[in-house]
Amino acid sequence: MSTVHIPVIETHRLVMRGPEAEDYPNFKATFSSYRSRFMGGPLNAYESWMLYAAEIGHWQIRGYGMWMIHDKLTDKTLGMAGGWFPAKWPEKELAWIIWPEVAGKGIALEATHALRDYFYTQRGWETAVSYIDPKNLTSIKLAERLGAVKDKDAATIDGSDAVYRHPSPERLKSGQLRDAIEMEIRSYTDPIFGKPKEVQT
Amino acid sequence: MTATTIPTLKTDRLILRAPTQADFAPFAEFYASERSHFVGGPLSAELSWRMLAMEVGHWSLTGYGRWIVEEAETGAAVGLVGLFNPHGWPEPEIGWDLFTGFEGKGYATEAALAARAYAYDILGWDTAISLVKDGNDASAAVALRMGAKADGDYTHERHGHMFIYRHPAASELADGGMEAYA
Repeated sequence: MSTVHIPVIETHRLVMRGPEAEDYPNFKATFSSYRSRFMGGPLNAYESWMLYAAEIGHWQIRGYGMWMIHDKLTDKTLGMAGGWFPAKWPEKELAWIIWPEVAGKGIALEATHALRDYFYTQRGWETAVSYIDPKNLTSIKLAERLGAVKDKDAATIDGSDAVYRHPSPERLKSGQLRDAIEMEIRSYTDPIFGKPKEVQT
Repeated sequence: MTATTIPTLKTDRLILRAPTQADFAPFAEFYASERSHFVGGPLSAELSWRMLAMEVGHWSLTGYGRWIVEEAETGAAVGLVGLFNPHGWPEPEIGWDLFTGFEGKGYATEAALAARAYAYDILGWDTAISLVKDGNDASAAVALRMGAKADGDYTHERHGHMFIYRHPAASELADGGMEAYA
């Protein structure tokens, strides 16, 4: 079969690449922890391996998927973000998971903002949603910081999740929303710039 | 990412090739059916899709995996056969699942022999096992037809109790090769 080429995407602090075999131990560490309770975890070793293999297979089958997020300076993995669309998902999802030990640094915001731009400008996505457990307040907060709003009319996966709809490509092209997101990202990437008050650490 | 190209193998009647999205319908139908209860099913459509994606990702993570088996004459997907070794598996396994309606034609044996030849000749494996659940007589018969012998049992946290069949070693097959069992 032809192997799908996964583009490398760089932001100020991050470089995002396709998931590799050598990144699996980091994935397993998170998915075997309580932290993964909103993403179907915690999983045992067998289940987490199967899910990681599915993350890779998703790229081959759909042509897109979840990137592994690396620290640009140290190359350490920080989490995963990207597009997720298994069978029975009502719509294409923008999803993210950040390893617990590096949470609170705006990594998911920086990664997802860049990947959403990629899907909108390079892959022709016209909309995107995130399916979030209503108890997952950190993720809901992130969706809102990305400009997504709860879409009560949209189909859910199984009724237990809330649907957050991302702003359209048109709305993200320029203007206040993009400025606000990029200003917040800059508050993390450039310490001199300072931190807006409303950002949680 | 690790660029593992999934090879295509051909036998007299079958083509073993990479799984694609087009295989999802027969794959999900199999995993929704009672026939799948020997291999971890039945599964919802969503979990079936993840299984299909997992089968593809398996190749990237280990360098081998399972193929979709296609009937050469009709192009129909008849099953999933190949090399399986997820994290926590006791040893690399040769596995075969036939989709509903394609049993009794010797397809599992024919495809599994090709998969075993690939494991021994291309990957350099010395040995291989196949795991069979209690009561899955059709699957045990395939193992025996391939010359495999009962070699104890194994209990998996998800799949439960299974019998181990050990295939003849690569060196034992060297003389007659796979043809000796065909």
